[in-house]
Amino acid sequence: MSQSFFIQFGASLAAVAALVALAAWAKIAKPMTPLTDERARTLLEQEFPGRRLERIWVAVDGRGALAKSGAAALVLCEVGDGYVARHIPWGQAVASSFRDGVLRLDLSDVAAPLARLALLNWPPSPEPRAA
Amino acid sequence: MKLDPVTLATPFFILAIVLEIVLARLGRARAAYEPRDTAASLLMGLGSTAAGLVTGGLAAAAALYAYQHRLFDIPMTALWAWVVIFLLEDLTYYWFHRLSHERRIWWAAHVNHHSSQHYNLSTALRQTWTGGVAGTWALWLPLAFLGFPPAMIAIQKGISLVYQFWIHTEAIGRTPRWFEAVFNTPSHHRVHHARNPRYLDRNYAGILIVWDKLFGTFQPELDEEPCRYGIVKNLGDFNLLRVAFHEWAGMARDVAAHPRHALGYIFGRPGWSHDGSRDTSRSLRADWAARALSAEESPPP
Repeated sequence: MSQSFFIQFGASLAAVAALVALAAWAKIAKPMTPLTDERARTLLEQEFPGRRLERIWVAVDGRGALAKSGAAALVLCEVGDGYVARHIPWGQAVASSFRDGVLRLDLSDVAAPLARLALLNWPPSPEPRAA
Repeated sequence: MKLDPVTLATPFFILAIVLEIVLARLGRARAAYEPRDTAASLLMGLGSTAAGLVTGGLAAAAALYAYQHRLFDIPMTALWAWVVIFLLEDLTYYWFHRLSHERRIWWAAHVNHHSSQHYNLSTALRQTWTGGVAGTWALWLPLAFLGFPPAMIAIQKGISLVYQFWIHTEAIGRTPRWFEAVFNTPSHHRVHHARNPRYLDRNYAGILIVWDKLFGTFQPELDEEPCRYGIVKNLGDFNLLRVAFHEWAGMARDVAAHPRHALGYIFGRPGWSHDGSRDTSRSLRADWAARALSAEESPPP
């Protein structure tokens, strides 16, 4: 490869660094407020249209949520100023590791291998049946 | 001086991104930039130029070979030749782009361009590292075989890429109606980058939107349905290797797990599975259409 390529590549790398610094300085990411039950429900309905949400757990830091929908667990996780959603079998979600207040969910997906949700406790207690 | 439109336009790309960020900061333009997302997009662009060197020689050699066996002698100096190559290259781009969305092996190379949840000028530079390996450059070989000089094809491809830069923005709403009717615009391309089921696999155009209208893939941007950007299954982080290779890794995993269905997992639509357990763009659109129809038909309470 020619010397000019390396000069061009180095200059481009410097330009990338400058643009990222400018983007950081500008603070123009999408506004992210901690999830509420209502917001989490809206986002999950958007991601999984037509799925009935039986119960929903919003992370204590508001950075994610998990819902039970039949035999599936619907997972929503904050990434940057957006969200990532996946569904996994409910049984797998219930059996997931919960330590130090953090639930670690194996999403079995190369694109998003793991989700972490800060919850008060896990697994959930059974929902009280109506009398 | 190297007559490569993309290289020549690079200072303009940088200035335009600076302008978009500053105007957004001042509240004068609509744009959102997340620094890690911006870094991923720009580094994908930079890596793409380096990756292009690896397979660029093969693509150039193939174009030269096709040109040596050309059907006609098309002069690079004739105006009519530039008009014809503009149309033919844009048509080729349409089909390249459509294949890149509708067949998994080519989607694996193209998905990185769509994996940002943002739609700004940095997204335009979020280019593939694996396009050369995927071999989509072969689609341009018939132009050389027809008799267009490879340099002319390369220049026209560059012009198309440069044109497509400015349409990656939310800062521009709608352009005049005549322009929207003929050309690919920020509005049309926002639809292309949206993950709303209604908008999936629409507006493949490079420069002329007329190809989408001709081949039935056109969808206008609707005010009542704002675009949500990204891919159906968004990425879990900003790791560059994940951005560049996640679909290749997923495809390899599927082929290894189901070798009897390898062809389907490689050449099927993205989301295809042998047991029908996954969603494709088609099934997502069909579900959306069914829900919309049932909502229309259900009587008000």
